[in-house]
Parts: sequence; structure tokens; C-alpha cells
Amino acid sequence: MKRLLTGTVVAVGATGVAAAVLLRRRARRAGPGGNLPQHRNLRLSRGLATIQLVARGGARYASSAPRLFAAAGEHRQQLRNDLALQTAEDVASTLGTMKGVLMKLGQMASYIDNGLSPSVRRTLSRLQDSVPPMTPELAASVIEEELGAPPEQVFASWDPEPIAAASIGQVHRAITRDGRAVAVKVQYPGIAETIAADLGNVALLRRMLKVTAPSQDVDALLDELRERVLEELDYRREADNQRLFADYYDGHPTIVVPAIVGELSTRRVITSELADGARFADLADWPQSERDLAAETIYRFVFRSLYELHAFNGDPHPGNYLFHGGGRVTFLDFGLVRHFTDTELEPLKQMARYLCVEHDPEMFRRNLEKAGFLLADAPLSTDQIVEHMALFYDTVRESRPLTMTGDYSSAVVRRFFDVRSPVTTYAQIPRSYVILQRINLGLFGLLGELTATANWRAIAEEIWPFVLGPPTTPMGEAELSWRARHPAPGTHDRVG
Amino acid sequence: MTIPDAGQYATAAGLIERSAAAYVSGVPEHPADDGFFGPASVTWKISGDLTGPVAGLRSLMMQALHPLAMAGVDQHSGWREDPVGRLAATSAYVTTISFGEQAAAERAAARVRRIHTRVTGVDEVTGRRYEAGDPALLLWVHAALVESAVVVRRLLGTPLPAQDADRYVAEMVVAAELVGVPAGMVPASMAALDAYIESVRPELRCTPAAAESMAYLLDPPGLDEEIADIWQDVRYGAVVSLPDWAREMYGYTAQPLTPARREEIRQVLGVLDAVFIGEPGVLEARQRVTALMRAAERRA
Repeated sequence: MKRLLTGTVVAVGATGVAAAVLLRRRARRAGPGGNLPQHRNLRLSRGLATIQLVARGGARYASSAPRLFAAAGEHRQQLRNDLALQTAEDVASTLGTMKGVLMKLGQMASYIDNGLSPSVRRTLSRLQDSVPPMTPELAASVIEEELGAPPEQVFASWDPEPIAAASIGQVHRAITRDGRAVAVKVQYPGIAETIAADLGNVALLRRMLKVTAPSQDVDALLDELRERVLEELDYRREADNQRLFADYYDGHPTIVVPAIVGELSTRRVITSELADGARFADLADWPQSERDLAAETIYRFVFRSLYELHAFNGDPHPGNYLFHGGGRVTFLDFGLVRHFTDTELEPLKQMARYLCVEHDPEMFRRNLEKAGFLLADAPLSTDQIVEHMALFYDTVRESRPLTMTGDYSSAVVRRFFDVRSPVTTYAQIPRSYVILQRINLGLFGLLGELTATANWRAIAEEIWPFVLGPPTTPMGEAELSWRARHPAPGTHDRVG
Repeated sequence: MTIPDAGQYATAAGLIERSAAAYVSGVPEHPADDGFFGPASVTWKISGDLTGPVAGLRSLMMQALHPLAMAGVDQHSGWREDPVGRLAATSAYVTTISFGEQAAAERAAARVRRIHTRVTGVDEVTGRRYEAGDPALLLWVHAALVESAVVVRRLLGTPLPAQDADRYVAEMVVAAELVGVPAGMVPASMAALDAYIESVRPELRCTPAAAESMAYLLDPPGLDEEIADIWQDVRYGAVVSLPDWAREMYGYTAQPLTPARREEIRQVLGVLDAVFIGEPGVLEARQRVTALMRAAERRA
């Protein structure tokens, strides 16, 4: 039956997903000089269907519940309570048997595969909001197990109504006994065990990933997915990461990372300073100058963290930012942080350096190969390779003001998955860099939505360790005194 | 036997969308009453389990072993032309009986009884005359469905205490009545149900019609390999949960169900359930059911 092998998959939506999710066909990787992958286009359309499937599920969850609530009128709160997760068994039936893993996969897929329209991306980002909240009693029981007493005793004040959904938990407002306003993220009971068990079904995950991310090295991606998700299940790691970022950016003029309250944070509970601000969607109504500043802060945050902190917060999800005006941005959610060793980071620096600064294509190519992005001895001219890869550096190749657009981020995505290019055959993403694709596929998309203008090259030069240029913007100037107190740590004690 | 063009019926696209539509149509938005079971019933609790597809397939396999029941379906239902539509119709009926208002359930049952009056004939294998309205046949179909729901739930689903299984069997007596079986004939406990099934066993056999239709259901021709992949696990769950004697009648074998295999099947069913939830209206329907059940718990 060839119908499913064409665009029909996409048209039939959820049904196609069922097919796509469980695709068993082996993705063929091409080695040097042989075996071109034959079904790439095919697999791409299937991957798309998978994502749309997940997205559709999410849309229903997110949009249907409020509709039901609206219809309920005065019984609305009652209805909300009725649908809430009351017990650990409810959690297991809602997020167990692969559903929680599917949501994480959807989250990850939104950054690793192409063809996602903004609406599908938005839908995917709402998938994690699709699970009903815990009842106040269930949330309180987790606090009691983790912190030794009911929330009313642990905190001076505790709001039993959650203010936000987290991917595997929910966030409550509280005031600590010493008077600090805090956000308390409470993990669903039993979820860690459930998801860990589902992540154990490697065969099923491999089948799902093959269609979700057809152009990837599935085993590398699977390892990365399992490791990242397993890490996310232990909130202590997230707290450590957030602490690392908060310490580093302490005193920064525009980057804000809420501090962790260590004594109220455990494996299933994270307490951090409460932050408030405008949401990403609100920025649509802000003047462009404000949007530019917000974008500049996000850009600086991503690349300073990478080059100086050797860490990348892999979740450039619109919901993880709060905006305060004047370029001040609060960064939330450090559940998905990847730390890089010097050895892993070095080729990245050299690639940017040789392509954009030294203009030495052969050295650029050598570093691509060294990092494993390009198979050695690919029968391709260096010109071909530069022509293909340079698009990813387009924003920093020349020093001039440049506006990020949806067109650019789409072009990056298209190039990334350009199955017609001979280069794609010999290109791959080594496991340690899988998460960095979110720069290409997530960050640029985000900045594109802000239609942000800046001289990105000039800002990059401030940050690039092989240039360390002088400040080129007011924000760069404002960073000077902060930087004096926070030199690039170089090698530091890695978390975990 | 003619098998129609594979492209016409074998797509899982139709199966999921139409099953979902059937489910949504059976759960009323603003019900005037709680129907024949109600939110405090075990029937409602069992109906949402993710093992539903396996239980459904297993009950069809059990039902098909009755030569006269099978002959009726084979000679009258036109399942070959529209197998997915046939399954969806059954699934819509079951949902309406379970969750629909009493009037809606009665209307659906009356319609089925009306159709049954036209379903008569002679079974080619046994040479016996059959009438679909025959309470004895209807009872077998009923018993196979009820027993499959319990067995599959126990094997692959969340645990079901013995008293809940008994309550479920007793609650379901009314479903048999609706379709035309006198209540006195219908088993009202697990023990009675098992005894009844045991008593029918001598009549059961795998006729060519049963072999053909189940071979189709277990391995639909033209099915895309990805769907076949899911279907393998659904089918394994159905076959492994059959009584040994029923499996032997079909000549099927199944590797024993290990705890690891059980978990794998549950995971695949979870993916299938996630897809089902993604279909229009399914989540809303489930939320309506959940809200009513929670309200009933509060009152209790």
C-alpha cells in the first residue's frame, strides 16, 4: 500500500501518526563513497506526520479542556477539580505507557526535525500543558514526602492552586518562612519511575525516533533523548544547573536567572525565587526597539553560556522567558542543560573562526571533520561544503545590521534537511552536538518571530573567545563591569 | 471467497478515525440521564482502559467460533466490503449502550433487533438454520464480549478486583436484555459466565468463515507495514489471552506472555491511545465521562 508513503500521511493527520510512530524500517546511513540513503524524502514526510500527530493530540488537550470549563459556567472550578490528577494511579494512566515519553519526544522533535509550521510548533509547546493539574491534596502529599511536612507548615504561605504546568509537574506560588516569594515546582508522584520504565523500551523508542527524526543518527539521538529525559526526572540536577547559571549571571545588566532555595529543593521539588514578567506572546505588541533588545539578551545568553560557561540550556521554548523591558529577560527552566568539555567545544570555535574570521575554508572543513559533522574523505569539494554550511553562519559572516526573519530561520531549517544536497549524504550530527541543533532550529526561529535587528556579527565578536572584541552596543557596554567580576571561567567543575 | 481491492478497506486511517468518531458519537454531551449503567458503575470504569482494542479483537475471535453466529455475520453483514465500517458500527453500538441516555440506548438496541429479524439462513457447515434474533446466539455474543473485557483487562490492563469483575458481569445483564435475551438466561457473575462458556464449548468450532474472517482481522491484507507493526502487538494480545482450546481451534500459537512482553504491549497500546486521544472529540468525551464519574464518587 503506497498511499501512506506519500504526502497522504500528512493529510490524514493522526492516522498517519499511528503509522509513522511505529515505523520499523531501518534508516540507512551512507558511508563514504557508497550507499546513498534511498528513502529520505519518504522518511521526512513520515517524520512530519509523527510530529503533527503529537501536535494534534496536544492541541486537543489544551483547547478542549478550557472549552469544557467554559461550558460549565459556575461549576467550572468543580469540573477542573474533577479532571485533576487525584492519585499516583491517575498520573500513571495519564503519563504512563509511553504518553509522557511521547510528550518529551514531541518537545525534542520540535527542535530536531523540519517542516514545523509556527502553529504546529506552538501546539507542540502546549503539549506539556495538556496534562491536567494535580489536586491540591496530591501536590501537598509530594511536598510532605519530600520536605517532611505539609506545605502549610513548610512555607509561611502556600497557594494550593498551581500557577503553571511543567512538563512532569506543576508550579505553585509560596512565601518562605523568611519572607521570600518563591515558585515551587512539584513533580508528579510516580512519574520518574513510569518514564524511566518506558525509556527502557529501546526498540519502541527507536521505531518512533526513526520517523520523528529521519535525517538523524537514530541511535545517537536515542542515547541523547534517554540521557536528557532521565536527567530531567531528578530535579536536583536541574537545581544544580540553575544555580550554575544564576551564579554566573549574578549582577548581569539584562540576564536574570532566579536563585535556587537549596534547603527547599529535593529530587522531586525545586524551589526558586518567584519571577514575573511579560510572556513571549505579549512581545507582539511591544515596539520593535524593545523586541530587538530582548532578542539581543537572548542571543548573548545563549552564546555566552556556550563559550564561557561551556553549557547550553537546550530549551529555547517561548514559555521559558519572562520579559521586563529594556532588554531584561528572566530565564526559566534549566531541566535540559548540556555541558561541554573543552575538547567538544574546541572544533565549534575553530569552525566559526576559520569560516568567519580567518576565511580559511580548508581549516573550516578540517574542523568539521574533526568534530564529526562531516565524514572524512567525502568526495566533495571544499567549495561545495562551504557553500552548503555557510548558511548556518549567515548572521555572523559580515559585520552589518541584519534582521532575523522567519524566512531566514525557515531557510536554515530547509538547508539542514536538504536531502538533495550531496553534502547532506556525508553530514551527520555527532551525539554530543545533537542538542546544539536547537540553536539552528529553535533560537533562530524565536529571533525570527521577533524580527529582531542587530549587528549579530559584532555581538558575536564580543563573545567569541578567539576575538573577544570590545563592546559594540549599549548592552555590551553595560556588560563591562559585570564581566570584570565574572571572567570566563574556562574549565570549571562540571555539574554532575 | 473474494477479497476486495486492498486499498478500499485495509487502512488504519479509517480504523482509527472511524472508531474515534463512533466513540464520540456514543458519549452524549448533555445527557438527560445516566443511561443504563451510570458513572458509579464498573462498566464505565472498565470502558476507558487502554486495552480496549485487544479486548475488542479477542471478543470477535470468541464470537466467531459459534458457527451460527459466524454464519449470520458472514452471510449478511457485508464485512468484506467495509470491514472498518462494520467494526465502527459495533463500536458505536457498544459505546451508546454503555454511555448513552436510556432512550438512545433503547433506540440503538431496537434498531439492532430490527436488523436481526432479517438475518436468517442456513449455516453451510452444520446445515442448521439460524436466526440472528435467537436469544441463544445473542447470549453467546454477549458473553464473549463481557468475558473478553474482564480477561484482557486482567491480563494486560490495570488490576481488576474479583468483586468488580462480578459486578461488571451483573451490570452487563441489561445489555443482553436490550438486544433481546431474557434476563433469566444471562450469567450474572464470573462463575456463572465461565460455566456458561464451558457449556457452549461443544457447539463451537472454527468454520471456514471464521477462519477467513479472523485471518483477515489478524493480518489485514494490504496493511501498511507500520500499521502492521502496531497490529502485531494488538493481535498477539488477543491471541495470547484466548483460552487454550479456542486458540487450538484456530490453530494459532502464541509465545507465553512474559512480564517484559506485557509491558511492551502496554506501551504500544499507550501510543495507540495517544493517537486515539488526538482524534476530534475523543478527549472531550473522555473528560465528560471522567467528570461524571468523579461527581458520582463525591456523592458516594
